[in-house]
Amino acid sequence: MSETKPTVLVVEDEEQMRKFVRLSLTANGYRALEAKTGSEGVAQAVAHTPDLVLLDLGLPDMNGLQVVEKLREWNTVPVIIISARGQEESKVEALDAGADDYLTKPFGAAELMARIRVALRHAARARDVPSTVVNIGDEIRVDLVRRLVFLGEEEVHLTQTQYKLLTVLVKHAGMVMTHRHLLEQVWGPGHAHQMQYLRVYMTQLRHKLEKDPARPLYFLTETGVGYRLKVEA
Amino acid sequence: MNRERALPGYLAGAAVVGASTLMAWIVFGRVELTDVTMLLLLGVVVVAMRFGYGPSLLAAALSVVAFDFFFVRPYWSFAVSDPRHIVTFAVMFLVAVVISHLTKRIRDHAEHARERERRTASLYALSRDVGALQSTKPLLEAAARHVREVFGGVKVAFLMPRHDDRDALEVVYADDGTFIANDTDLGVADWVWVNERSAGAGTATLPTSRAMILPLKGAGARVAVLALFPSESAMLGTAEERQLLETFAGLIGSALERILLADEARGARLRMETEQLRNALLSSVSHDLKTPLAVVTGATSALLEEGAPKDEVTRRELIQTAHEEAQRLNRLVRNLLDMTRLEAGALKVNKNLESLEEVVGSALNRMEDRLRGRDVKATIPVDLPLVALDAALVEQVLINLLENATKYTPEGSPIDIEAKEKDGEVEVDVADRGPGVSAADVDRIFEKFYRAHEREGGGVGLGLTICRGVVTAHGGRIWVDARPGGGAVFHFALPLPSEGEAYPSLPTESEHPG
Repeated sequence: MSETKPTVLVVEDEEQMRKFVRLSLTANGYRALEAKTGSEGVAQAVAHTPDLVLLDLGLPDMNGLQVVEKLREWNTVPVIIISARGQEESKVEALDAGADDYLTKPFGAAELMARIRVALRHAARARDVPSTVVNIGDEIRVDLVRRLVFLGEEEVHLTQTQYKLLTVLVKHAGMVMTHRHLLEQVWGPGHAHQMQYLRVYMTQLRHKLEKDPARPLYFLTETGVGYRLKVEA
Repeated sequence: MNRERALPGYLAGAAVVGASTLMAWIVFGRVELTDVTMLLLLGVVVVAMRFGYGPSLLAAALSVVAFDFFFVRPYWSFAVSDPRHIVTFAVMFLVAVVISHLTKRIRDHAEHARERERRTASLYALSRDVGALQSTKPLLEAAARHVREVFGGVKVAFLMPRHDDRDALEVVYADDGTFIANDTDLGVADWVWVNERSAGAGTATLPTSRAMILPLKGAGARVAVLALFPSESAMLGTAEERQLLETFAGLIGSALERILLADEARGARLRMETEQLRNALLSSVSHDLKTPLAVVTGATSALLEEGAPKDEVTRRELIQTAHEEAQRLNRLVRNLLDMTRLEAGALKVNKNLESLEEVVGSALNRMEDRLRGRDVKATIPVDLPLVALDAALVEQVLINLLENATKYTPEGSPIDIEAKEKDGEVEVDVADRGPGVSAADVDRIFEKFYRAHEREGGGVGLGLTICRGVVTAHGGRIWVDARPGGGAVFHFALPLPSEGEAYPSLPTESEHPG
């Protein structure tokens, strides 16, 4: 991270929620900008070019999807959705439209900070040279140059599709990947609805790489949304 | 029925007399004269039985004439030599007429009996059909069918008061060719509804109307209006038909009233239950929400107030307590929200082919904190087929079952999850080593607000009800029984998709990346 404090724009209409997020952000060394409505949020994003946007889905003037679409018209700032129970559909819509991750209320400060860190790191990595070897937990090592996967010292043989799926997850490590994004990136745009393919290959990956596939540590299911590869156990 | 078959009947009657005369002529001379009269009278009986009253009278007259002409001296002449024969003629004619009369009465009786039987049968059929029906529309359809059958060719329509306005009628059932829009006969129907008397065609009131319109009454009050549109073949003119119609109207009226009353009772019961539910919910919720709220308020104010504890351990403990109670509040609110959505029928089951291993994994992941310190084992066969389910909802079922297990079993006791394919279903078991579920609770445990153990840490008593709601919405079953060796096992079973759907075909690949 650079010397200047990263700026986070909080778009949230409830004051207490804004306060909690602002306090958590400043306590962790971020600069917080605030907006009460969607249009205000878009305006702030234009004016201040924040490093990250925290976007509540229950805004009074626009829905989250509209805000994400407006932001994505002109920039790639990481967007983390804040959703409540019962907003599952609009959450997935916003993610499919380009939001990077989400948090479900109520969430803790630690969770918030972890998500922000991952999103900022991912945005930075997209600009830099991609890493060649990625570790997942202590056990799994993916060598992206030699296209090899190791579990401990042992090489794990993956099929082409399994490997492709793994690399897409690795590229977005720590972030949620919606079913649609995964299907499009692994199988191509024509396969966005063949969700059972994805389920089967995810299961195969888990059985090859997780100790207890029924209680995965890394290849996590985000029910109704997609998958998340957790790189730190 | 066949009494109107005029001319052929008379001709046949004459023919029968001719035949009996011929037979008598053949045996004439070898038998007594009285036997001849008997043979002729037999002819009259045959005519009376087969061709009715008129022809039999003709046959009686013809028989006497034939007797005179062929069998009384002088033969081949109407002249009578012996005046005693005049008496024979008179008696013979009289006997023939009496036979005709008696036969007619027997025939009339038989016909009446047949008619009564037909009517009873149709009434029986109607009452049997409408008695079994539970809603208005099929009842009216059945009633209309019976009316059409019995009064061949008649067309039927029913009108009932509108829901919002008891005085305004609307057509709720109509055969083709009955009412047309803005029909003047609808005015007649209104008149019938208001006055509760028949009107229209065939009655004294407004007889120029196309339809005969009858009020349908139950034991209590008017319920509907029946409109009959007579056709060429069914004029609804005779007294019997009218009487039968009245009986029909009474039966249909009672059946309709029964259904309407049942609907009303159901509605009232539902309103009462909703009211009871709301009250129970309110009292239960306010109680269950108050406790954690009190703890949060107490703990945080202790930290804020002057003279707050300074030592880090106490402060941390207070914060920890407030945090735990806030999480408990969150769970309570979540269950309440789910329950209201279930109750309101707003729960959308968004089924996809899902892997149970993932759903279980996700539930365990979300329960991670609360399952800490317990030995949790999940046994899911690798070849378990995908199941069509709403992952978010089934995950909630698992979470509720796991939450229950953590609440009601000793800390640190193990929990086992097992999934298996069985008879076209996938069954998931969540087994604990707690105190188990008593026989009395086995049936009631899934009921709303029912709590097997009233104790600290319990919820509102909705968790299992939500589970049942979700599983039922998937077409599945949920139940609980005792675990061999102690503890309880909650099972739920979901139907498997049909063959082929569950196992997606995948392209085969070699295990060589790149």
